[in-house]
Amino acid sequence: MKAILIRMGELFLKGGNRYIFENMLVSNIRKKLEGLSYKLEKTQGRLVINNYENEDELIERLTKVFGLVSISKAEEIDATVESLEEFFGRYKNLEGSFKVEVKRGDKRFKLDSMQLAKRLGEIILENSPKLVVDLYSPQIVFKVDIRQNGKAYVFDGNISCCGGLPLGSAGGGLLLLSGGIDSPVAGFLMAKRGLKLEALHFHSYPYTSPEAKQKVLTLAKKLCAYVDSVKVHCISFTKVQEAIHANCSPEFMITIMRRIMMRIAETIAKRENLGCIVTGESLGQVASQTMQSMTVTQNVVDLLPVFRPCIAMDKEEIIKIAKDIDTFETSILPYEDCCTVFLPKNPVIKPKLEKTEAEESRLNVQELIDQAMATEEVIEIKK
Amino acid sequence: MIYLDNAATTKMSENALKTYNDYASANFFNPSAPYKQAFKVAMEIDDARQQLKKMLGAKKGDIIFTSGATEANNLAIKGSEREGNWEYVFSMGEHPSVMETAKAMQREGKNVFFIPLKKSGEANLDELEKYLSPKTRFVSCMLASNITGAVNDIKLLSSIVRKHCPHAVIHVDAVQAFKKIEFSVDDLDIDLLSISGHKFHGPKGCGALYVKNKASLKNIVYGGGQEYGIRSGTENVAGIMSMLAAANEIDTAKNFEHVLKLKKAFIDVIQSNSVKVIEGKNPYIVMLLFDGVNGETLVRMLEDEVIVAKGSACSSKKAGNYVLENMGYSRDQVKGAVRVSFSADQTQAEVIKAAKMIKAKYLELYERTK
Repeated sequence: MKAILIRMGELFLKGGNRYIFENMLVSNIRKKLEGLSYKLEKTQGRLVINNYENEDELIERLTKVFGLVSISKAEEIDATVESLEEFFGRYKNLEGSFKVEVKRGDKRFKLDSMQLAKRLGEIILENSPKLVVDLYSPQIVFKVDIRQNGKAYVFDGNISCCGGLPLGSAGGGLLLLSGGIDSPVAGFLMAKRGLKLEALHFHSYPYTSPEAKQKVLTLAKKLCAYVDSVKVHCISFTKVQEAIHANCSPEFMITIMRRIMMRIAETIAKRENLGCIVTGESLGQVASQTMQSMTVTQNVVDLLPVFRPCIAMDKEEIIKIAKDIDTFETSILPYEDCCTVFLPKNPVIKPKLEKTEAEESRLNVQELIDQAMATEEVIEIKK
Repeated sequence: MIYLDNAATTKMSENALKTYNDYASANFFNPSAPYKQAFKVAMEIDDARQQLKKMLGAKKGDIIFTSGATEANNLAIKGSEREGNWEYVFSMGEHPSVMETAKAMQREGKNVFFIPLKKSGEANLDELEKYLSPKTRFVSCMLASNITGAVNDIKLLSSIVRKHCPHAVIHVDAVQAFKKIEFSVDDLDIDLLSISGHKFHGPKGCGALYVKNKASLKNIVYGGGQEYGIRSGTENVAGIMSMLAAANEIDTAKNFEHVLKLKKAFIDVIQSNSVKVIEGKNPYIVMLLFDGVNGETLVRMLEDEVIVAKGSACSSKKAGNYVLENMGYSRDQVKGAVRVSFSADQTQAEVIKAAKMIKAKYLELYERTK
């Protein structure tokens, strides 16, 4: 019978609460495979799917489940020497070089790994006289995995999955989603570490277009291939930007904007019981992403950690991931986002906290935040 | 809501819509079919061709129905292209459906030349001779601009072209001119002319190309041989008949006088030191360059009360406005560009009200962003 063998990632590092992670992973897989027919079985250290149709779709979806390292398309056989001999006896007239690799998850099996590999190799050679054994660089590899459920799985290779930890196992976080290349990548990377995402988007209608907002919703939809659903909180930032523009020095526009964004992010995160803020910042990429700028913007966040998974990545590295997760083409659509409206000619690169606070004191920050929060629109994006 | 984006598209007239419904349901037959109901539709389409030709003031030639002006313009250009060392000339004010086709030909290695624009928006015909030679195969120049009120002197253009280029075919994009300003193809002495139904209260998805000598035009698609084999594909019967119905309702001269008054009333209100008004002989379009603001933002601030455009709708996805830049305006000036385009069914009171709102919102935006 055909089966898909699923290998879980870092869960083996978990001790007593490993079953909690495993159950979460199984539940995430079931959610991801909604609408497909299949049977899922847990066996020591592995998951097995059988009785399925639509193999390609099933595999495509499994590769997007966080917590899985790899999967294999396998043949499921009763774990007896006779069944295996009968199965390998079906291979006839193969050519080239080969080897057999055996792994015994079930140590009760009567032959050890070496003995079984040797026995199966002999059977193959009997039926394929032109085949030769090559243990180092064989053209064909027969992998045999004997599990405790009384089944053996024969396969020839692995399909890589995302790795990481089961979605939701790390709690929830609020991703600042701008529409650029970096923030969806940041969201993906944190989701991979088990973080369930909600997103926060600031728009500046009428300075920004409806297309710019739609683009962010499209990005959220693309992330849903991995995270199933994303609640997007959309906030109008227009009044805040106008107030900063009218009252503060132009070079502090971006710094103060980001401080207010962070305050709003923390307010929403706390309200929604989300344990962290995630941004797509990368050290030194632009003026607002210098260490000094981040110090000044982080300063307003009271309690929550701010995770910046792209911090040490080059743009090229970020773009590569963006392409892999299919957000790149959307991110580069040419619509102005709110950060490019009122963009000063010379933004401050190394802002000082005291000077920033002095500039900011010209604003009634809490009132601006309240006004902005009143414009909140929540859009639930699903796969 | 006052709609001042009629150069982008117009609302279908009731009669056009009724005609559309009739030919989409009761008279839905395929004109190529061999029974009498279909034959009747085929005859009506042929009659539509004759009526349209008459409206265009053409004694000779034919009408080829297309899916709109973009296809008509592409057919005119690509259908006139020939092997060999020929030269192709375009004005720098052309719509993207002409401009992009010209650029594609240039990329393919064809000899393509562009006639510069005057600051007022018209093609600079004083320089036309520079771009012409006996090898000129094709000259394309729009009659009325889609960006400004500029109207090109096509009669002068064709007289110059005829003098220097014995093999040239002259094409005119008349999308913003047909049923708005009076002209006749015979008088203009041209070979090809494009129109589009939805710009004069007809349906979208239907246009036409007038062809003086169809033997000189190659087909660019292959199929069942409809439209003299030049544009295969089952005729868009409802679109064609509805476009004709819309055209038949319009009294061009009377509307022109009315819209001229609308334009004057509008400009009287909007005129100020902080806006550059670009107008021309076509009263239907006025281009406004507002100082110190982003035109696109202004368009969105107005959207619940007055609908206007930023440059041209067909190119609003791209940054800048190449026609205004080709006319010699700076990036900064173009940033504040807002296009206003009228319809003959509007009143002076409406456009005055709209002008006041635009002015007020402009001042508000200016204050908010200065």
